[in-house]
Amino acid sequence: MFRKLSLLIASLALGGLAASPAGAQLKVVTSTTDLYDIAKAVGGNRITARHIGEGYQDPHFIEAKPSFVLQLRNADVWAFVGLDLEIGWMPLLLDGARNPRIRQGGSGYLDVSRAIPLLDVPRGNVDRSQGDVHPLGNPHYWLDPENGRRIARLFEAKFTELDPEGAAVYDANEKNFEARLNAVERTWADELGKIKGQPIVAWHTSWRYFAEYTKVNIVGFMEPKPGVPPSPAHLAGLIQTMKRTGAKVIVMEPFYDRKQADFVAAHTGAKVLILPPSVGGLKGVGDYLSVMDYDVKQLAAAL
Amino acid sequence: MRVLTALCLSMAAATTMRGQVPTTPRDSAARAKAKADSIARADSIALVRELEKLQGARPDTTSRVTGAQGPTNPRLLPDFSAVGDFVADLSPKGSTQEDGTRIGVREVELAVQAAVDPYFRGDVFLGISDEEGISIEQAFLTTTALPHELELKIGRFLMPVGKQNTTHRHDLHTVEYPYVIQKFFGPEGQKGTGLWLSRVFAPFGFYQEIQLTMIDRIAEKNDSLETGVAVNRTLGGLGYSARLRNYWDLNESTNLEVSAWGLTGVREEPTLTAVGNINALNARQTTGGLDFTFRWRPLQQGLYKSFILQSEWMKQSTRSVSGFIPGPLCRDMCPPVAIPVFVATERTNYGGGYVFARYQITQRGFIGARYDQVQDPEFAGGTTHAGSAYLEFFPSEFSKITAMYERYAPPAGIDINRILLQATFALGPHKPHPF
Repeated sequence: MFRKLSLLIASLALGGLAASPAGAQLKVVTSTTDLYDIAKAVGGNRITARHIGEGYQDPHFIEAKPSFVLQLRNADVWAFVGLDLEIGWMPLLLDGARNPRIRQGGSGYLDVSRAIPLLDVPRGNVDRSQGDVHPLGNPHYWLDPENGRRIARLFEAKFTELDPEGAAVYDANEKNFEARLNAVERTWADELGKIKGQPIVAWHTSWRYFAEYTKVNIVGFMEPKPGVPPSPAHLAGLIQTMKRTGAKVIVMEPFYDRKQADFVAAHTGAKVLILPPSVGGLKGVGDYLSVMDYDVKQLAAAL
Repeated sequence: MRVLTALCLSMAAATTMRGQVPTTPRDSAARAKAKADSIARADSIALVRELEKLQGARPDTTSRVTGAQGPTNPRLLPDFSAVGDFVADLSPKGSTQEDGTRIGVREVELAVQAAVDPYFRGDVFLGISDEEGISIEQAFLTTTALPHELELKIGRFLMPVGKQNTTHRHDLHTVEYPYVIQKFFGPEGQKGTGLWLSRVFAPFGFYQEIQLTMIDRIAEKNDSLETGVAVNRTLGGLGYSARLRNYWDLNESTNLEVSAWGLTGVREEPTLTAVGNINALNARQTTGGLDFTFRWRPLQQGLYKSFILQSEWMKQSTRSVSGFIPGPLCRDMCPPVAIPVFVATERTNYGGGYVFARYQITQRGFIGARYDQVQDPEFAGGTTHAGSAYLEFFPSEFSKITAMYERYAPPAGIDINRILLQATFALGPHKPHPF
């Protein structure tokens, strides 16, 4: 009796936290808002989706709050960026969740990076003298629309594997997602033409995939090494580099302090451009297509 | 032997013949369904590849490396890591360190961590110091596949008594544990060897966790104390603890954790006089406490701003020993021999706690302050006060430099000014510590 009462209270309480759509079968939790948005696009009403990080938050430094454990303990799928992006907090959450389905080796453990052609995979010896280097490769791959498609296909495969009855729905949703992405992409012809080959500076290596896609030329980074704050000596060198290359835009995420970027901009005549790296990174940029669309158009406008 | 061989051959033949029996439509359907299921369960990556081929995915023209390259740890090596903890004591009236050093390596911690098998993870932490040599700080198996959100640890661990006790000393925001922990449990906190069972639940919509332990003993064995009977002779002499954690997100930037806990067990308490080699009595000690942690960290500016307010208060009750009288009054805690034995004649109740705050001033810099108050068992319950201030600098996530000033006021004697500098570093994939 007590057990039934507890279960009733628990379900009511949790129901208040997360209203599940009718007919939902798979509970999906993602580490980032980008994976969340693509998972929702593919899963539709057959899944419930939640995300741990916010788009305006540095995904490297998310706190492993116990409330996230509650999201994960009943999850069927845990989808994460991988490549050690979540290394500082994911192990705590997975240990805390005590959910074998989403532990490594479980059916719901989905390392999305394994479907992605990677950039910046270090060669030779790697150590922390190189900063917060990611030994397995650059994890910010979602900022290339082609990788957005790969992520969608991976979700379709995983959801179909776990919920075969929904295969047709997932297939249709995935195709629809790609079609919408293709349509948006076709509107960027002018912008991509304008961006191609232009020199810019980025704060962090998170814009490498975006640069590969747009063919913009990143001539320097605000960080002297990944994850290391700018030093005066580095900024002095960067100013010289920008003057030499003619870089007129400094691209940065909304979660970095822009004072140093403003300092460099003041000495080079460049413009500081804050771009959302993820869904929800800025107000009004609420889905994956909007992020890509906003970033491409804003960069083109700034150049 | 021939008979056995013939039997095996006949069984094998029978199996083969069964395999050759014509299939019925129902069998075919079942097999087709099984095949479909196995295809459905095939590796997701293979499916993605297939889809890419079918849909004529854009060929990669860059020097990219595809993620699915095989295992990154083909030899299944565990994670090895090390933490160095150095302390310099610049106090004006001399060193205040246990070993009397002005500049010393307080401890080096070596950790080996890995999944043991599909059911357990293993963690081993060895502490190395000039004073203690090599010691097992922690070593435990943790279950990874128990149902009902249960987790069991087997081994030695930092006990879930309060908030800071579960944090390694080198990872504290302060240089040393709060005095209430040092005075009640020792300078390195309360450890235990035994079983730890915990369960996460949320009947009221917020995070709750119950943590129960059963440990061999609540205090390290002191070889100079002899009671004539082991503290863990009966199951009642083992250590038992329970802690209930409660956690709330107040909003996306702030959260609150409030916990209550209790620990009871038996330990050796020295007596004023000795009979033969008996110079101590097994005495029950019970400690209970409350801890409270408030955190603020705005998500967007989380790299640069954060604040923690933390407090713990606890009460410890111990039988005190004041003399010896003949055995009949001694009851169950005394040696089972007909000699005059020591007896607990009164109970001491000491309390204490601290309040700690820490504010982030830059991406790498923090300031903090702590106020301690504890009824010191070493001074028969006289109250020790201490106020300390901290400046922390993190060159990176893997190194830390802390400066501390403290005004320490013991119940007897003169107040002491303490100035400590601490440097710590971590090598290797040191696992993140609990939230």
